[in-house]
Amino acid sequence: MSSGIVRQALRRNPWAFLGPAATQALAAALVTTGLCAVASLSGAPLTAAQRATMAADGVADMGIVFLVASIYLSILVVGVTMGTAIADQGRDLALFRTVGATPRRVRRAIAAQAAIVAIPATVVGVPLGLLFGSAWVGGLVGHGIVPAEVTFRVHGGVVPITFAATIGTSLLGALIAAIRPSRLRPAMALTEAAVPRRGRVRTPIGLLLVAGGVTLSVLISDASAETADNAGLFVMLAMCFGMGMLGPVLLRLAAPVARLFGPVGRIAADNVVARRRSLSGALVPLTLAVGFAAFTIVIGSTTEKVTGVAMTPADRWLTYAGTGVYAAFAAVAAVNTLITVMQARRQDLAVVRLVGGTRGHTLRVVICEALVVTATALAAGSAVAAATMLPLLHTALGVWQPYVPPSFLVGGVLGTAALVLAGLALPAAAMLRRPPIEVVG
Amino acid sequence: MESVISLASVSRRYPRGVLALREVSLDVPPGQFVAVMGATGSGKSTLLHCAAGLDRPTGGRVRLAGHDITGMREKQRTRLRRDHAGFVFQAYNLLSELTVRQNVALPVRLGGPRNRTVDEVLAQVGLAGFGKRPVGELSGGQRQRVAIARALVTAPSAVFADEPTGALDPTTGAMILGLLRAAADRDGAAVLMVTHDPAAAAWSDRLVLLRDGVIAHDGAAPDAREIADRLRGVSAVAA
Ligand SMILES: Nc1ncnc2c1ncn2[C@@H]1O[C@H](COP(=O)(O)OP(=O)(O)OP(=O)(O)O)[C@@H](O)[C@H]1O
Ligand SMILES: [Mg+2]
Repeated sequence: MSSGIVRQALRRNPWAFLGPAATQALAAALVTTGLCAVASLSGAPLTAAQRATMAADGVADMGIVFLVASIYLSILVVGVTMGTAIADQGRDLALFRTVGATPRRVRRAIAAQAAIVAIPATVVGVPLGLLFGSAWVGGLVGHGIVPAEVTFRVHGGVVPITFAATIGTSLLGALIAAIRPSRLRPAMALTEAAVPRRGRVRTPIGLLLVAGGVTLSVLISDASAETADNAGLFVMLAMCFGMGMLGPVLLRLAAPVARLFGPVGRIAADNVVARRRSLSGALVPLTLAVGFAAFTIVIGSTTEKVTGVAMTPADRWLTYAGTGVYAAFAAVAAVNTLITVMQARRQDLAVVRLVGGTRGHTLRVVICEALVVTATALAAGSAVAAATMLPLLHTALGVWQPYVPPSFLVGGVLGTAALVLAGLALPAAAMLRRPPIEVVG
Repeated sequence: MESVISLASVSRRYPRGVLALREVSLDVPPGQFVAVMGATGSGKSTLLHCAAGLDRPTGGRVRLAGHDITGMREKQRTRLRRDHAGFVFQAYNLLSELTVRQNVALPVRLGGPRNRTVDEVLAQVGLAGFGKRPVGELSGGQRQRVAIARALVTAPSAVFADEPTGALDPTTGAMILGLLRAAADRDGAAVLMVTHDPAAAAWSDRLVLLRDGVIAHDGAAPDAREIADRLRGVSAVAA
């Protein structure tokens, strides 16, 4: 009975799960692409010599690398969006504890919902992944990266593996996010939403991870190029997870920047500090996207600059195609999370207008908040990229100074700002169309 | 003296044909505390929203603090509201994630007149020392006092209150009514309050009874018992 009530609570806002569903569909597509890439490369009728050349070029394992990265990203991104969606419903869920739903029942119902959302998302994502995959194999052959004998092949395990991946990641994300609302004492339900939660372990763990990443980065700077190359992945992992954990702290540190924009900026700064936890849900994918894109592109451009040898079109294609796919994935997740955060503030925006904020004022508050989030994501992403990249540049090229192409710098800053504005300011502008008294009344 | 709140033959028809106000005229001078009562659905909230410029009447004219707001654009009306009106609602309508001080400072940060300091109004509503507390941690009565402090920080010429004591116990309610009373007596604000509670209406100077969108009675506020009798009168006819 109570699980039925919980299901109703979750359905009350059907858009809440649109975010996770969109990222799950993309995750399914990426995993499908990865699987088909593996199948296409390993299943191709190639001679031993051709395979040896591919292995020497480092393209033989490309499918597997892509697959592993896809699964890693899916866990992070689906987990984060699912977590935001659940946290958004947390108060409703806690209220259902008052009518007798046990914590276990609440958790089970949330998990079931999360898994159910994953099914249609995966059904949409798999065909999309098949399209991506065939385009990718076409691109590899077209650019002469692999022999023409390589044709697109569908991996036999596509359906079970993608379902397992999407359902597994959503369950994990949902269960972690559900711990808090399910444990809440019913009497606390009404005030909880307003009381800032203090993470006792979150910040120390984040600091530890970032410190570990930086230390490792310094240590491998004087190691051999190969060691640095192998350890680089761990630096990136530690930095990404660490920055994710530190998200609320980073936003709190960055918020005063908004004060530069006058009194409206001060409202924005207060809002960012008050909502730093939910906003940091968007910071994680943004940091990933910025960090990953900066890393791959700047490594390529610095190598070109130092060695004076231009990248081959094939290499260039590989770099940009891979980076583009991951960045797009993270971007979708970030926009999703921001929209979810914004939806929850419908009432607050109306209150600002009620006490005398014009539409323009209110929108400016939101834009200031978006700028703070953008600046934080750019700083955190740059830190991730720098820690990962500097030792590699030093060991492989003997330089410390990365070369950042101006076009990438401008594009990255504008692109990130555009994403954050799309996630915060667009939904806000839409909400501002209704008279405030209708919203609060 | 010129009235702060002035409605002349104001009508409000909602999209699906409901005529919530029919040619209502009402003038409130500075320093007067008016209570609006009537059965549910009689148009009390609609009257308050039209008078405060939160809603647009479909007929008649509305003036607020000497400005004709009838044909004003949304932006101008919002500015006028910010500079001359304060609001208190049954549901508090505070930003619950922010602190008491941040909530009270909101109208000023949005460019409203800084006529009184945050500390001064917080002291007046009995919340001195609560500035740093998140609003989400406060009791209902404390939240309503924050809302009153926010309404008074610009020293508005008009204060609008829609069932401000509806969710509070009698003692806390009396405290809120005392603050509204002081806004009229001490600061000379015109106060327009919608209420269902005869005891609350007894704090006012003037009682307006609404029935089906028409003013059925308008006169000096009698005591609570007599208000209750009158109210039964209009409700019985309406029902
Ligand atoms: N947004 C709206 N759309 C359509 N009709 C509305 C709307 N708001 C109010 N009404 C109608 O207008 C009439 C007056 O409503 P109003 O909210 O002013 O009543 P009220 O006196 O404040 O009632 P209550 O004491 O229950 O708050 C009612 O018949 C109501 O159904
Ligand atoms: Mg009403």
